[in-house]
Amino acid sequence: MKILTEKNLKTFLKSAEADYNVRVPINLHDGTRALGKIDEGSLAIAGGVIPQKITNVFFPQMETILTIDSEKVELPKPSVKPLLVIGFTAQDADCLEFIDRFYSEDYRDDIYFNKRDGAVIVCVSGRCGNDGEFLKIAGEKCDLELICDGQNYLLAAYTDAGKALAENADGANADDSVIQQLQKESDSLPADDLELIQAASKLLLEEKVPEEFWATISDRCIACTSCNLVCPTCTCFDIFDRKTDSKVQRWRMWDSCQLDGFMREASGHNPMGKENIRTRRRIHHKLAADVTRWGQLTCMLCGRCDDVCPTGIGIKAVCREMVDKYGSA
Amino acid sequence: MKKVLTTCPYCGTGCMFYLVVDDDGTLVGVEPSNEHVVAKGQLCVKGWNAYHFVNHPDRLTQPMIRRNGKMEPASWDEALNLVVSKFKETQAKHGNDSVAFFSSAKTTNEENYLMMKLARAVFKTNNVDHCARLCHSSTVLGLAATFGSGAMTNSISCMEQADCILVTGSNTTEQHPLIGSRIIENVTNNGAKLIVADNRKIRLARLADIHVRWKNGTDVAFLNGIMNVIISEGLEDKEFIKTRTENYEELKKIIADYPPERAAEICGITPKEIVDVARMFAAADKAMIVYSMGITQHTHGVDNVKSCANLAMLTGNIGLPGTGVNPLRGQNNVQGACDMGALNGVFSGYQKVVDPTTREKFEKAWSVENLPAEPGLTITTAIDAAAEGKLKALYIMGENPMMSDPDQNHVREAMEKLEFIVVQDIFPTPTSEYADVILPAASYAEKNGTFTSTERRVQPVRKAIEPVGQSRTDWEILCDVAQRAGYDGMKYNSASEIMDEVATVTPIYGGVSYERIDQVGLQWPCLDKDHPGTPVLHSGKFARGLGMFSPAAYLPSKELPDEQYPFVLSTGRCYFHFHTGTMTRRSQMLDREERFPYVEISIEDAKELGIYDRAWIYVATRRGEVKVMAHVTDVAKKGVLFMPFHFEEGPANLLTINALDPIAKIPEYKVCAAKIRSAE
Amino acid sequence: MCNSVVPKTNAHECDGKLYLPFQCKIESVQELTRTEKLFRLSRKDGKPFGHKPGQFMQVSITGIGEAPISVSSSPTRGDYLELGVRKAGTLTNAMHELKSGDEIGLRGPFGTFFDTESMKGKDLLLISGGCGLAPMRALIQYVEDCRKDFGNVTILYGAKSPADVLYQSELEQWQNSDKLSCQVTVDTVSSGTCWDSNVGLITKLIPPLDINADKTVAVIVGPPIMYKFVTLELYPKGLSDKDIIVSLERYMKCGVGKCGHCTIDHLYCCTDGPVFTLDQVASLKGAI
Ligand SMILES: Cc1cc2nc3c(=O)[nH]c(=O)nc-3n(C[C@H](O)[C@H](O)[C@H](O)COP(=O)(O)OP(=O)(O)OC[C@H]3O[C@@H](n4cnc5c(N)ncnc54)[C@H](O)[C@@H]3O)c2cc1C
Ligand code: SF4
Ligand code: SF4
Ligand code: FES
Repeated sequence: MKILTEKNLKTFLKSAEADYNVRVPINLHDGTRALGKIDEGSLAIAGGVIPQKITNVFFPQMETILTIDSEKVELPKPSVKPLLVIGFTAQDADCLEFIDRFYSEDYRDDIYFNKRDGAVIVCVSGRCGNDGEFLKIAGEKCDLELICDGQNYLLAAYTDAGKALAENADGANADDSVIQQLQKESDSLPADDLELIQAASKLLLEEKVPEEFWATISDRCIACTSCNLVCPTCTCFDIFDRKTDSKVQRWRMWDSCQLDGFMREASGHNPMGKENIRTRRRIHHKLAADVTRWGQLTCMLCGRCDDVCPTGIGIKAVCREMVDKYGSA
Repeated sequence: MKKVLTTCPYCGTGCMFYLVVDDDGTLVGVEPSNEHVVAKGQLCVKGWNAYHFVNHPDRLTQPMIRRNGKMEPASWDEALNLVVSKFKETQAKHGNDSVAFFSSAKTTNEENYLMMKLARAVFKTNNVDHCARLCHSSTVLGLAATFGSGAMTNSISCMEQADCILVTGSNTTEQHPLIGSRIIENVTNNGAKLIVADNRKIRLARLADIHVRWKNGTDVAFLNGIMNVIISEGLEDKEFIKTRTENYEELKKIIADYPPERAAEICGITPKEIVDVARMFAAADKAMIVYSMGITQHTHGVDNVKSCANLAMLTGNIGLPGTGVNPLRGQNNVQGACDMGALNGVFSGYQKVVDPTTREKFEKAWSVENLPAEPGLTITTAIDAAAEGKLKALYIMGENPMMSDPDQNHVREAMEKLEFIVVQDIFPTPTSEYADVILPAASYAEKNGTFTSTERRVQPVRKAIEPVGQSRTDWEILCDVAQRAGYDGMKYNSASEIMDEVATVTPIYGGVSYERIDQVGLQWPCLDKDHPGTPVLHSGKFARGLGMFSPAAYLPSKELPDEQYPFVLSTGRCYFHFHTGTMTRRSQMLDREERFPYVEISIEDAKELGIYDRAWIYVATRRGEVKVMAHVTDVAKKGVLFMPFHFEEGPANLLTINALDPIAKIPEYKVCAAKIRSAE
Repeated sequence: MCNSVVPKTNAHECDGKLYLPFQCKIESVQELTRTEKLFRLSRKDGKPFGHKPGQFMQVSITGIGEAPISVSSSPTRGDYLELGVRKAGTLTNAMHELKSGDEIGLRGPFGTFFDTESMKGKDLLLISGGCGLAPMRALIQYVEDCRKDFGNVTILYGAKSPADVLYQSELEQWQNSDKLSCQVTVDTVSSGTCWDSNVGLITKLIPPLDINADKTVAVIVGPPIMYKFVTLELYPKGLSDKDIIVSLERYMKCGVGKCGHCTIDHLYCCTDGPVFTLDQVASLKGAI
């Protein structure tokens, strides 16, 4: 395993641009961390989770699904170069794994896989979280991984695509003991949050959470939709057409189940026409409905909705209240 | 894919975010700024959708001229030459004040400054105003009279520091969502006390310690009642009153007429509610008042504002973090448009036109002579003057009076009487239907400039994409008009040069420059290059020296319900739409949420009248009748209807009354008498 | 003809292009009521639609959008497809402007269908209300064409008023048929309207029926509130949730289990439904 300095890392990423559309965490104008091209801002690999929904590289806020001009219908084409995305945390990689599954099962969503097929996923882990936090090592959930030892990055390659890329990297060989030490640190990270949402999930599946609970949460929800829009496993979208003189484009854009119109039917009938029902859905969907359907929790604890919620009712906060209130019974 | 840091074009909270531009130059998303002091990585639903309307196919992309009654495409040369020649002609025939200019709280500071410069320096009239007239003119005047400065005294961050917050006439979580969320966090995390005085059961009311549902329009009686209790129980801040204020005796005298029993009777509440509010507010170490249009939009709007100021001074809650009188400004740049002097009586920085030395200063700065000395027409009085045939030509930049001004039929009459109307906008509107010339403007995403948020924070607006079609930025259009009118003093290479000029003539913006506001902006007053800006006003000393107690007596609203029109109709906005809907109704997600004009009606009234949720009904007042969908909800109080004004197909302002506050000329949007009947 | 019907797979024929509509020609347009029209469509490429009773199509008009509409005709009637459309908003209004000869886009067929295989040999109780007759008509047509596959067939249909009754001539035909029994009711009749059938809620038609619970399948399609009240009448007849089939409507955007608008707890109405047995959904919050 090679060990890369920041400088070597940058050279390595630059060289990958020959074959890939490379997206890396950078600092935007005011220091906000986001994915961008290497030269669009200073590299910001360290710092933990990227605030925005990281799966937006494959499922962006708004994208065309059809273009129709004078009788000709065009579908979006896969880009010539596949994406190479750096900046997934281990939890993000879990999220991606789930939405890959979601978009491929039953009907395969070609628009998503246009971008996803051939893409290389690079996780970032180790001693480079926000405020010195240790980021869990992702392992084989990704193609390549940058594991920070506090200063430099160990380059772990897991898949063929990852290994091929890693060969081009310039760096000394790392000592096995270093990686073992990091792995040990990773393995000993606390699992409190996981236990918390598992407990919450159990309460929901066993229907131990009374209806009144949801209103106490939804009273605090201002329906900003941020929790949905930053969630890497949120997949819902709306479809609309835009017609200009020369063409019609059909687009899809992120939607949010926290909105009243999300399920309102033409007749006015609305199965989710109340705030408390919508708030329940937000939590229930990830921790109970998806468990029934997919056999897994679909909150991977990436932390984004808790960070973004302006009133402090992200999924972890709600689970904590839920477990505090109904957990011991 | 490019990400450009800019300021939200919707409410006055002033969140900054990144616009996401795809490789074709289309806006395809928004990402919040994590570093911005207000946004903190968050946005409300409007912010998340603020990119959407920009590339909407309805955008105006070509100048148009009315020929033989029909709007036809024209070149910029034709259109602007026509504008200038018509305005000059009109002035030659009917005098300088026969034309008026409506500026816009949606455009940048630079553009507002240029609009008022165009009106004053080039066309020599003070007939320039903008929609602050309709939302916070009573604040500007009321707070100037009491404190000496008509703006929010504190900062948004203060919402998290207060021990007690009195929210009145502000549906904060819907209209200033990220300010509302700070209040919620303060209440749920820190146990701050929350008092909501609002007749609707808004979200904050559900979390409030006390929710008072008084009758619309009885604010003065309510506030006087509170002050009466505070004084009679000796809870006032005697030290503050002694050292920082004047006219206290006068206050005491008038307030004495409002013992809780009497006040409660006027307000339709119990005396206990008034006593409880008074004690809770006075007991807090740091108490703040947050208000918005529920206070200002009355024929006694200025009195309401002054009463809020009185209460704050009485309890010594001014000049410290976590306190203050905090009017929340509705639009992204309504604060800035006022600051820039897009008002009938002041130049930028609230420098009065009646003051000869001020005029002299601007004459020198602009190299002109004879700046007009008398305050001009306001938006509301200009419409009246047009309807009377006294005003002949109107230049409207980014405003939609057909939808936003009271009594639509009256506005229509004015529009029809006007001989020449120029509309400069990004979308066609009901107003542009009356235009003789339409000038396509660039949207906020297509230009550089600044907006000033409700907390007086001057922040950058940045160009993310090229102007669509042939549209041009408002400031370039205005400069072009000035030049064609023969004035050479309005030539700039960039928006930043305009701000540099603003800084030289506007003391409160003296230290503002693009360099300094690159990321988080600056809060005025910012007097010079080294001044750090001012998060909290009036600390240690009021802008006017001593705070002036300005007590008012309760006056009933102009049109109260009666047998024929038994409901009180109040108007305002909903969460998903903004003002006249030109942008939000062209945003997929926002429009989906509220697709139809509606009225909120209480469960009790609906039951009595056999109206069910989402049924179509007619709402009528003495001005007219509109068909809207009934939203049957516990938000509404029995006897009161609430209707948002976003919908062309069900315009609330067809119903509202053109009754004005005598000083601020703000219309009484919050109270008129109405009746309803089923439409099914 | 009965044998020639249904293709094996449930996949929409789109060469993996999920959101690409195929072009259809409108063969005819028939006015059903003031607000409903029946469109008969054929595929421009001449291929069969491959639809089954109970499924739906995503109807697409470029520049306007898409909406889910139930298949209203049975594949046993030939290679055309009929859609009964009520004016409800943007797309359906635009559709009502279309004339025969015009083109329209479709995706689908999507969703589950009435499982006529497992209904074989059973008595059928086909209950529909309002627009619900649109999908039910496809099933009734199928049953008519394969009549010997089923036992007794009873059709119950309820509409708001006589003016809202869909497929009037067919209803008459079914009412006069000796192969099946059919009853129609309306909620209210305004004075001056000629109406010689039942008046009152559809639930009133159920108690008098003679039902053999051991071999009866009930199918319900109608507005949301109907399900609750109709099932309450069916239980006393000895029917249980697994004998009752419902077709649920939800806001749908994609039709292929991706957009998330149509979820009922862990189920997607567009792919797991719209046709469910009641026992699949009865316990799910908000389903019925
Ligand atoms: C499985 C299924 C089968 C259906 N079959 C039929 C049928 O056979 N005949 C028929 O007339 N109608 C049918 N509908 C209803 C029909 O889909 C809606 O009336 C139609 O989507 C309205 O679209 P619009 O563009 O005309 O209205 P819009 O202008 O889009 O909307 C009007 C209202 O409908 C809501 N709405 C928008 N899109 C949908 C949607 N996809 N589903 C539900 N509500 C929506 C909006 O929130 C709005 O309140 C069916 C619906 C479903 C889900
Ligand atoms: S982020 Fe918080 S306030 Fe916003 S919609 Fe989600 S739960 Fe509600
Ligand atoms: S709170 Fe106001 S400024 Fe902030 S995103 Fe929402 S509309 Fe924009
Ligand atoms: S309609 Fe999109 S998931 Fe069902």
